[in-house]
Amino acid sequence: MNSILFLILRRLRRPLILIIVCFAIAILGLTLMPGTDNEGRPWHMSIFEALYVISYTATTIGFGEIPYAYSQSQRLWLTFSIYLTVIPWFYAIGKIITLLQDTALRIAITTERFARAVKELQEPFYILCSYGESASVLAKTLDEKGMRVVVIESQQERLNELDLAETYSVIPHLCADAKMPENLIRAGVHHPLCSGVVTLTDNDEVNLAVAVAVKLMNPNLPVLARAEREDIAANMASFGTDHIINPYTLFGDQLAMRVHAIGTYILHEWLTDVPGDTLLPPEAPPRGRWVVCGYGRFGKSVVQNLERENITTTIVEAMPELTGCDHCIVGSGTEARTLLEADIENAVGIVAGTDNDINNLSIVMTAYELNPKLFVVIRKNRRHNDTLFRQFNADITMQPTEIIAHECLAHMIAPLLAQFLTLVRNQSNSWANQLISELVSVVGETVPERWAITVDKDQTPAIAELLNKNISVSLHNLTQDPADRNSRLNLVPLLLLRNNVPMLVPPPSTALQLGDRILFCGIPDARSAINISINNSKALNYIVDGIEVPDSVVWRWFRDKLK
Amino acid sequence: MNLEKVIFGFFIVLAMTLNFGFFLGDIDNPSHHHVYELYAAIVVSLIATVLKFGDRTHVGAILLSTSLAADLQLITAAILWAAVGNNMDDASLTVYIVSLSGGALMANFVSVILLISETIGQRR
Repeated sequence: MNSILFLILRRLRRPLILIIVCFAIAILGLTLMPGTDNEGRPWHMSIFEALYVISYTATTIGFGEIPYAYSQSQRLWLTFSIYLTVIPWFYAIGKIITLLQDTALRIAITTERFARAVKELQEPFYILCSYGESASVLAKTLDEKGMRVVVIESQQERLNELDLAETYSVIPHLCADAKMPENLIRAGVHHPLCSGVVTLTDNDEVNLAVAVAVKLMNPNLPVLARAEREDIAANMASFGTDHIINPYTLFGDQLAMRVHAIGTYILHEWLTDVPGDTLLPPEAPPRGRWVVCGYGRFGKSVVQNLERENITTTIVEAMPELTGCDHCIVGSGTEARTLLEADIENAVGIVAGTDNDINNLSIVMTAYELNPKLFVVIRKNRRHNDTLFRQFNADITMQPTEIIAHECLAHMIAPLLAQFLTLVRNQSNSWANQLISELVSVVGETVPERWAITVDKDQTPAIAELLNKNISVSLHNLTQDPADRNSRLNLVPLLLLRNNVPMLVPPPSTALQLGDRILFCGIPDARSAINISINNSKALNYIVDGIEVPDSVVWRWFRDKLK
Repeated sequence: MNLEKVIFGFFIVLAMTLNFGFFLGDIDNPSHHHVYELYAAIVVSLIATVLKFGDRTHVGAILLSTSLAADLQLITAAILWAAVGNNMDDASLTVYIVSLSGGALMANFVSVILLISETIGQRR
């Protein structure tokens, strides 16, 4: 705020001095002019009276001749004064208005306001260094979960969208370049409650710059960065970026998972989606020969993963020299000739993976006409083409935006979830199927909430209190309803981490220890119910041994007497 | 030689000298203290204040604050003169006004000392 005040004062120096000088001359002259009062005695205006007259004259209010009718010489001087004072007055007002409209000043004011809003945050928050498609999904979901978000974005149009969006809590945002370290500082990189920085711009260089800057300024802060080029990803990893997100690798991975373990894939999807959504059971991609159109970063990742699953591929690429594929059919795939050349009629699936949405739609529509039994995987680049893609209804629609957002959510909302999912990948498909059926029977068909708790004095005071009294609390106790211990809460413990040793889907009989970290999934009601039993030792006592402990000393004494 | 510095120094010194001129004389004798001299002191002091606007250095900030202190006392003196001039005997009114201008003189004095010390520092 200080710098803005000084900026205003500095700009107003000239008009203010002009006003002071003109007023001083006009007032002095008016006191010197001879006049007469009502009885005709000679009279001179006092300095105060002159100041009064000049003030209302200069501001064009004009009360008239006060206190007595003026003499000719006073009127002559006042005529001169009007021109002398009114013009500087308007000049000064004009200057002030220009100053208020000055872009530099307005940027200074919004920047200052943003920095103050961030400084005043009292809850943990994440910094989003862009507000593109995936970041907006992320911001919306985090906001719905009651987590605070701060946004820096270099394009004003995107921020206008944020201005209009309905959010539960205020999202401070700034139109600025996230690469500049001072903007990151304003966004709260040094703030003690900052829980991480997420940089998801579609420019790898920007993401790299942000990641480097954050890691230098505050090495302990987790950084989630999007990187599509391998050299950049390696560079990011070299200085400890916590999570590097490459949408193409992720999709290729998921496609491979879908081919060889559909159960694991469903579990993965189900636990990383936005809570409250309903998922349709996905179809497993067929084995056989696939046609892949477009051999860019996306196509390469798909081909690599399919080949790992021993699926043969035929590649169609318009510019083979640029993308570096050796055995491919040259063409864009949008016309029937190229597709026939790729022997589409005998293929089982097609991947339309160019970076142009209309071309992708054209490819799959042509291919579909040639072979209606095809399994279709289509890449969607722009979110505003949503309607077109929904109309086409491909077997798999790959959308980088959503993949990135889901991956980030998995890391941000429950860091244990990412660990859980890695462990799940090493399990068999039937294990995953069994877990899914158990989950569905407890939490229903909609995407559940995921959350983690740490057993300690701060997060679970009730458990800590009972454990200190040597009363054993088992995992089963946490799944009991604090209102009625015989009914079960709709939640499932997924992972228990003890001394960094993970226990996948721990059995209910597991006794809790201080320092345990537990990942749960369940419906929102169960989440609020479990908060009662982990915070209120009376409720937990009731759950453990079925006895309601009286609160007051008198009642406790009374109960002991009755025993 | 810098014209801006000349004007700056001129107004700061003039503010002090005018103030001193008004202050000089018996403290309770109205004929020793002319109203136009107070008027000139106020106008010059205001101009000096505005000239000091926007200087972000530490000395600049102190200069501005001394000027504001001088303005405050001089304007209080003028308001006193205009508002209660009619219903008070001349001697006690003059005492009030002149003592206030004496306070302003101290502030202006500090201002000039700062200006001199800064100038000497520059020479070095």
